[in-house]
Amino acid sequence: MTWYLFIGDMLVTAFMIVLFVWLSLRSTRAQFDAVARIPLEDEERRG
Amino acid sequence: MTVRHYEDRVVTAFLYCAVFWALLGMVAGVWVAAELVWPTIDFGIPALSFGRLRTAHTTLVLFGFGVSALIATAIYSVQRTSHVRLFAPGLAWALFWAWQLAIVLGAASILAGWTSAKEYAELEWPFDIAIAVAWVAFAVIFFGTIARRKVEPIYISNWFYGALIIVVAMLHIVNSLALPATLGKSYSLFAGAQDAVVQWWYGHNAVGFLLTGGFLGMLYYFLPKQAEQPIWSYRLSIVAFWAFVYTYIWAGPHHLHYHAVPEWVQSLGMVMSLILLAPSWATMVNGIMTVAGAAKKLRTDPALKFIVLALAFYGLATFEGPMLAIKSVNVFSHFTEWTIGHVHSGALGWNALITFGTFYFLVPRLAGVPLYSTRLANVHFWLALAGTMLYVLAMWGAGVSQGVLWLSLDDLGEVRFSFNDVMAAMQPYYLLRLLAGLAFLAGTVLMAVNLAKTFAGRPTAVAMPPAGRRA
Ligand code: HEM
Ligand code: HEM
Repeated sequence: MTWYLFIGDMLVTAFMIVLFVWLSLRSTRAQFDAVARIPLEDEERRG
Repeated sequence: MTVRHYEDRVVTAFLYCAVFWALLGMVAGVWVAAELVWPTIDFGIPALSFGRLRTAHTTLVLFGFGVSALIATAIYSVQRTSHVRLFAPGLAWALFWAWQLAIVLGAASILAGWTSAKEYAELEWPFDIAIAVAWVAFAVIFFGTIARRKVEPIYISNWFYGALIIVVAMLHIVNSLALPATLGKSYSLFAGAQDAVVQWWYGHNAVGFLLTGGFLGMLYYFLPKQAEQPIWSYRLSIVAFWAFVYTYIWAGPHHLHYHAVPEWVQSLGMVMSLILLAPSWATMVNGIMTVAGAAKKLRTDPALKFIVLALAFYGLATFEGPMLAIKSVNVFSHFTEWTIGHVHSGALGWNALITFGTFYFLVPRLAGVPLYSTRLANVHFWLALAGTMLYVLAMWGAGVSQGVLWLSLDDLGEVRFSFNDVMAAMQPYYLLRLLAGLAFLAGTVLMAVNLAKTFAGRPTAVAMPPAGRRA
């Protein structure tokens, strides 16, 4: 049982690392800046 | 031309109820605090007994106040960050009525003595089913709105609210699995150590994804709005999100140190709790740096002041938590008021203050008029700060004393002080905590008056007489 949990844990950790690397490589600073401005530019739109 | 607006009436309704449940839940909190000073003030009435009233307190503040505030802010912000009107507003109203009814009847059932005896999940099986259905409705409304969004990226606050919805559904359903015996009694599907592990997987992650993750959603939307600054590092917020989700889910066994669960499970809980310090403080630093760009506004804007203070208490609670998770610290702190101090540095300092700050920001916008009184809001700020500090300091004092007294042995290795001796020594601390609670409650009453007056002052549509009859 311990081994199953350990292996599961390592798989999830690997997933985390891959996700992090993928995210870092995929997006540019400009894209991040644009997303960060979303809450500042939403009031004039009325749905 | 018809301009379609965001659906904000249901937001207002949830907000009203959140304030109401905060007041009622805190009155119950003050009452249980008073019972620890004067144990006879239950007057022999079962509904006022410590066990029932304490559970009513936690249910009202967590699920009445906390969840209503989270649903209100999630509905408000998901529409704006997606540039679309709410998906299925009718369902949102059904959710509103179902949730409030569940809280009214649920609190009544607890006072009547129904309980599943699982902490923070005391409501019996009929409520569990109703809550699960209501939660699915919340998911449909939220993810339905996201699915229709006109902005491609999903803003970070929505990731936190989304995690809240998905994880709480999973926790609630698994932990509530039970065999009903009668309408008011059921038996959990889990027993013994398994029950303990499932319960604290639920309990800890309810703290993690509701009291922390949900409120981080609130922070990531309302902090940039109030500071009029984008979040300091968006990249850091994403990393913190994934690290938070991944780590939190393992930390539950720190509630079971030295209990009858495998040793390695406890150690895993401890290690993951220590790691959790990193994403928690990353978020705090991100928040503080965002505010740093709006330092001028901080001097005058009471709403922003509440949020900054909330960030400070978030930092405090998430530093203290990992320390309490260390086994050798926990052996000292576990059965003491230190835990209660930790809980309320999070609950009052973080959850309540960030919600208050958000409400001071939100209500003038929902009502379309300025806040009724900035002075009242400032008085509230100081009452809330004083109440939280006094509460936490009193419980630290009580907790450390209790820890020393419980563990003190005489020459024969017997415990030196009886339970009664220790409780008697707690009286001054309990009295201080009661005063702290009263100060915090008084501040909340001021906020309720201020918000109600703001709403009352909103412009009403004036019926114009037909042109021919105008004077
Ligand atoms: C890094 C973050 C945190 C960690 C590692 C952590 C860890 C802990 C630990 C070790 C305990 C004591 C367990 C025991 O001895 O029984 C505890 C209790 C508790 N914490 Fe935290 N904590 C964190 C943040 C928070 C926050 C932000 C809140 C928000 C309100 C919170 C709410 C609670 C509650 C309600 C309890 C009491 C549970 C019970 O009924 O026994 N925690 N936490
Ligand atoms: C006027 C404000 C408040 C007062 C006076 C108060 C008082 C109390 C008291 C006396 C207890 C029982 C402590 C014990 O058994 O030794 C308690 C428990 C608790 N309260 Fe509060 N409370 C207040 C506000 C809140 C708020 C706003 C929240 C959540 C957002 C909250 C969450 C909790 C929780 C989770 C527990 C259970 C802790 C545990 O079992 O470890 N309280 N409170």
